[in-house]
Amino acid sequence: MPILSKHLIRDENLIRNENLVIEGVDVSGDWSTFIKTRVVQDYNDSLQEDIAALPGGENIHRCWQCGSCTNTCTINALNPDFNPRYWIYLIRIGMEEELIRDKEIIWQCVSCNKCTSVCPRDVMPEGVMRATAHWLELKGYTPESPATIFDKVFSSQVFAKGKIEEGRLMMRFFKKTGQKLTQDWLVGLIRGLVLRLPIGLLTRMGLSALIHPRTRDWSNHRMAIAEYITEQKALHRKALGLPTTEESR
Amino acid sequence: MNTPVLVVGGGPAGLSAAHSLASTGQKVLLVDKADRLGGAPILSGYAKLVPSGEWAKDAIGGMVQRIESNPLVEIQTRTTITEFSGAPGAFKYMLAGEEQTREAGATILCTGFSHFDPVNKPELGFGIFPDVVTTTQVEQMLSSGKGVKCLSDGRVPERVAILLCVGSRDRQIGREWCSKICCTVSANLAMEIREALPQCSVYIYYMDIRTFGLYEDAYYWESQEKYRVKYIKSRIAEVTSDGKRLIVKGEDTLVKRPITIPFDLVVQAIGMDPNVDNARIASIFGVELERHGFLQRGATYRAMGSTTRPGLLVAGAASGPETIDDSIAQGQAAAMAALTSLKAPATEAA
Repeated sequence: MPILSKHLIRDENLIRNENLVIEGVDVSGDWSTFIKTRVVQDYNDSLQEDIAALPGGENIHRCWQCGSCTNTCTINALNPDFNPRYWIYLIRIGMEEELIRDKEIIWQCVSCNKCTSVCPRDVMPEGVMRATAHWLELKGYTPESPATIFDKVFSSQVFAKGKIEEGRLMMRFFKKTGQKLTQDWLVGLIRGLVLRLPIGLLTRMGLSALIHPRTRDWSNHRMAIAEYITEQKALHRKALGLPTTEESR
Repeated sequence: MNTPVLVVGGGPAGLSAAHSLASTGQKVLLVDKADRLGGAPILSGYAKLVPSGEWAKDAIGGMVQRIESNPLVEIQTRTTITEFSGAPGAFKYMLAGEEQTREAGATILCTGFSHFDPVNKPELGFGIFPDVVTTTQVEQMLSSGKGVKCLSDGRVPERVAILLCVGSRDRQIGREWCSKICCTVSANLAMEIREALPQCSVYIYYMDIRTFGLYEDAYYWESQEKYRVKYIKSRIAEVTSDGKRLIVKGEDTLVKRPITIPFDLVVQAIGMDPNVDNARIASIFGVELERHGFLQRGATYRAMGSTTRPGLLVAGAASGPETIDDSIAQGQAAAMAALTSLKAPATEAA
């Protein structure tokens, strides 16, 4: 049967077999088009606990769906599909499939925290968004966002040396995200710096790019931080039922 | 002071009224149709009460003992009133099985309510599937110490649904009132189930949550924040079975999608009906019923506990869904009104 008003049905819910014969009758193509049910047939009882185990998601159980977060949301004003209230409900009730449909939008939260200050139950929706984006990454539903990659490059340098060297940071970030080093704006920026900055400062910058200075007596701090990070990563993966030995991507 | 005040009904309101009257030296005749005192909390075997958390058998049982040991209170159980006449200050009545007319200066009706009988909502599966039970049955499972179990095979449930507003707020079955206490009671039960069975998920299906006043954070919030009870906005349309588990059908109104979710145990939060005897009570005592079938209250502000018949008082859930602690307060208020009317029958009680 051809289905009229297909635009009302989600694409992934339309099933069509190009070659199908049932009891000797050829029902290929339109004749075998089915609509998958919209009925929710089960809950994932543990989804809310998964999110609650990740930093920021601790208070998700408190939500009573007033919608204050969505109402005040910066991103929602630009994109009505960005709806923290709705995702919090899906997580609380355990509608995982429905949540994953929005995996390309959830990470767009800009952490303005207007939702956090307006929430009457202290759910900390911004934290929940952060935890949810983290969850999507850990579960492998979304690749790491450029922002996450930048954070990792930045913090790994701090952890290793106790200091940041901008040139090196940008080089690594561009390499990891597959961006060219010779971008017009960057070349312009560097040229401007070379022309305008005093010679002494330029010399110091040049030297630190070559020598990679580190904070004095950093190794103790480095080890303590590394231990803490390993511990936290293992904790998060364990909470989600993922193998803890695997190095986080 | 020598003519006993007649108190009809020995639940929380009646026990409270009788105790208050006797505390002032007033004689009381306490009549109850059941074989023992205590009313619904005792007869239906409630577990821990809202908001004190005390067991019903301790809290209300204590009130019963206090009355039973009071020499000023005559107790007549398994008894009803068959005739009632007279005017304020000089009522005459007859107990079932007696031939002698008795006298009362004042009378307080504490005749309470009846639990909604869920066979009136057959689509919700009570009486068809053994694992569809009422809040009262779960109270009994907890108070008896036997624990929450599926009645079909005795297994411990892994997932429980509590359906709110069964027998309340439903024009289809002529129940147009909110039963007031079921939201709080259900949140309380959900927490008790989660405490007893930490592996069991509890879902509450609601239209609105009416954990009024100070019950908001102590029950609604606490059940979410500490006990991880999940609230789903949906009025359940049907409970069926796939042969193994119960299937709860409805629409999740927040995601605008139909749901058919499997559960081990479905608990119906049954509402408070007017006492099934209210028509008889109304005709014997000559009082009017309000349009839902509860006893009609008289003055709202000028006199506590008045009915449509002067001198005849009412307290507790007889005049509408009521909490236990408010029933107890109303029992005391009606006792005060009774004493006032005995002392100064011409003036209206405050």
